[in-house]
Amino acid sequence: MVRGFEPEEVWIERSELNSPVAKKVLSHVPPQVVHVVEDARAGEPMDFASGKRRVILTRNRGRFVEACPGGTDGSVCCNYLVFNVVTNCPLDCSYCFLQEYLANNPAIKVFTNVESGLGELGAILRAHPQRRFRVGTGELADSLALDHLTGLSRILIPFVLGFPNALLELKTKTDCIDELLAFDPHERVIVSWSLNPPEVAATDEMGAATVAARIEAARRVRLAGYRVGLHFDPLVDYDGWEVGYGRLIEAVFSQIDSRGVAWVSLGTLRLTPRLETVIRRRGIARRILGSELVPAADGKKRVWYGLRSKMYRFMIERLRAVDPTLPIYLCMESPALWRSVMCEVPSDRALGLRLASGGER
Amino acid sequence: MCEERIRSYAQDKRFGSATVARWLRQPAGDRRALLEFAVRLRLGQNQFRLFLDMLEGIAARRGCTVSDVLALEPVVSVLSRRLGRNETIGMLKRVLHRLRYPQLAEVEGRLAELIKALPLPVGTSVKFPDNLEGESVTVILNAVSARDLRVRAAELVSALQRPEVEEIFRLLGGEW
Repeated sequence: MVRGFEPEEVWIERSELNSPVAKKVLSHVPPQVVHVVEDARAGEPMDFASGKRRVILTRNRGRFVEACPGGTDGSVCCNYLVFNVVTNCPLDCSYCFLQEYLANNPAIKVFTNVESGLGELGAILRAHPQRRFRVGTGELADSLALDHLTGLSRILIPFVLGFPNALLELKTKTDCIDELLAFDPHERVIVSWSLNPPEVAATDEMGAATVAARIEAARRVRLAGYRVGLHFDPLVDYDGWEVGYGRLIEAVFSQIDSRGVAWVSLGTLRLTPRLETVIRRRGIARRILGSELVPAADGKKRVWYGLRSKMYRFMIERLRAVDPTLPIYLCMESPALWRSVMCEVPSDRALGLRLASGGER
Repeated sequence: MCEERIRSYAQDKRFGSATVARWLRQPAGDRRALLEFAVRLRLGQNQFRLFLDMLEGIAARRGCTVSDVLALEPVVSVLSRRLGRNETIGMLKRVLHRLRYPQLAEVEGRLAELIKALPLPVGTSVKFPDNLEGESVTVILNAVSARDLRVRAAELVSALQRPEVEEIFRLLGGEW
C-alpha cells in the first residue's frame, strides 16, 4: 500500500534547499537517501518503475496551470483546470497514461517554487471573477500520495479558498487523508476517489490502497465534513463486470451518503497505440488487455461503442437508483455517446459550470 | 534451444527486433507454443503480431497463458483439420475473434441474423461501422434504371418497417 510512501532516493537541487517544500520533505526522509546536486535532471532514472521510487525536488521551469487535455479530441469537455505541483506518483496502475506521458522523465517530481505556481493560478482566478473554476491536482499525480512528505494540501487549500470562484479537487487512490483531517473542511474542497472493483484493483492498480480502504477513507473525510467526488474511470470490461461494478456501487453508498457526493464521473479504458506498446513491454497489465478494445475515431483503443454504452447505462441506472439527483458526467466521450446514454449534449461551458457549482442540487 | 530456434525462424521471416523481443519476453511454455504455431502456419511478421495480440488478449481475459489458449478445443479443432494454410489462418482468425471479443462477436452474429431476416431488395448491402464502433448504418441500393431504383427503393422502405430494424439500432447503441 502507498500509505506513508517513503522514497528510496531524494534528489534535490542545491539552489532549492531552503524552499519550504524542500525543507518539509528533507525533515521527513533519512539523510542517507538525499543527493544534493546542481541540476536534478541528472537524477532522472532510465526506466519508469525506478522513477516511482525516486523523488526529485526541483523548480518548475514551465507552466503550472493547464487546461485538462481531455477536451482536445472532439469529446465533450468539462473545462477542468489542472494544477501541476507534482508529476508522477508512487502508484503503478497498469493503464496509467503517465507511462507514456512521462516516459522520458519518470521520476516523481515535486516542484519547489510552489509560490510561482500559486501566483500563476491566482492570476487566472482573479482575471475572471465571474467564472467558476474547478481546479485539480490529480491529473499528473495522485493528489494525496505524497502529502505527508510535502504538506502541499496545507498550502493549496487555504490559497484556493481565498478565491470564492474556485473549487479544489484532490483526487486519489490512496487513504492518505491525515493531513486533510487537520483542516476545517470546506464545501469548496472536494476529495475524490478513483474506484474499480477489488478484483480489478488487485490486478491492475498496483500500490493503490485497497478499495475497502479507499471507501473507508472517503467515509472519514465525509464524516469530517468534506464533500466527496467519485470517479469510476476507467471502467474495465471483464467477465463479470456487471456483478463487480454493481457490488462496488453498493459498497460505496453503504458508507457514504449520496448528498455528500459532489459529482460522479464515468469513463472507459482508453489506450493510445504507444501506451499500449509501453504497457505490453512493461508486462504489468493483468486484466485490462483482455478488454474488448478496438480502435476508436480519436486513434485511441477503447471498448467498442455498444459495449461502452451498455457499461455507462448500467452504471447510470445503478447510481440513479441510489440517488436520482447525483451529478453524473462522462469523461472524454463523444457528443454521440453523450446523446445516446445521457440524453443530452451539454456545451463544454455548460458542463463546466454545472460541475463547478459543486454539484449543487 | 527454443530461443535459438525462435531467432532463427524470426531471421528467416525477417521479423523486426521489437517483435522478436516481445516473443522472447513470453514465459518459456508460451514461447515454445508460439514457435510451433508460427512454424505450423508459416506466419510472417504481421500475421504473427496479429495472432499474438489476440492470444495475449484472450489469455488476459481468461486469466490463463497463451499456450493454454492455443490448447483450447476450438483452436485445436481448426489446427487438426486438413485445410490449406490460408484457409486455416482465416478460420483461426474467426475462432480467435470470438474468444477475444465474446460480446462483440455475439452482437455481430445477431446483427447478421437480423439483416438476413429482412426482405431486402436484391443487390442491397448493409454496412456497420468497423468493430461496431458507432451507431451509423450504411445501406447501399443498386439499380440499373430509374424504374429499377424506384421499385427497389419501395421494397427497401417496406422491408424497413419490420421490427428487426429497431433491434439493429438497439444493439448498436448497447441495448442487449
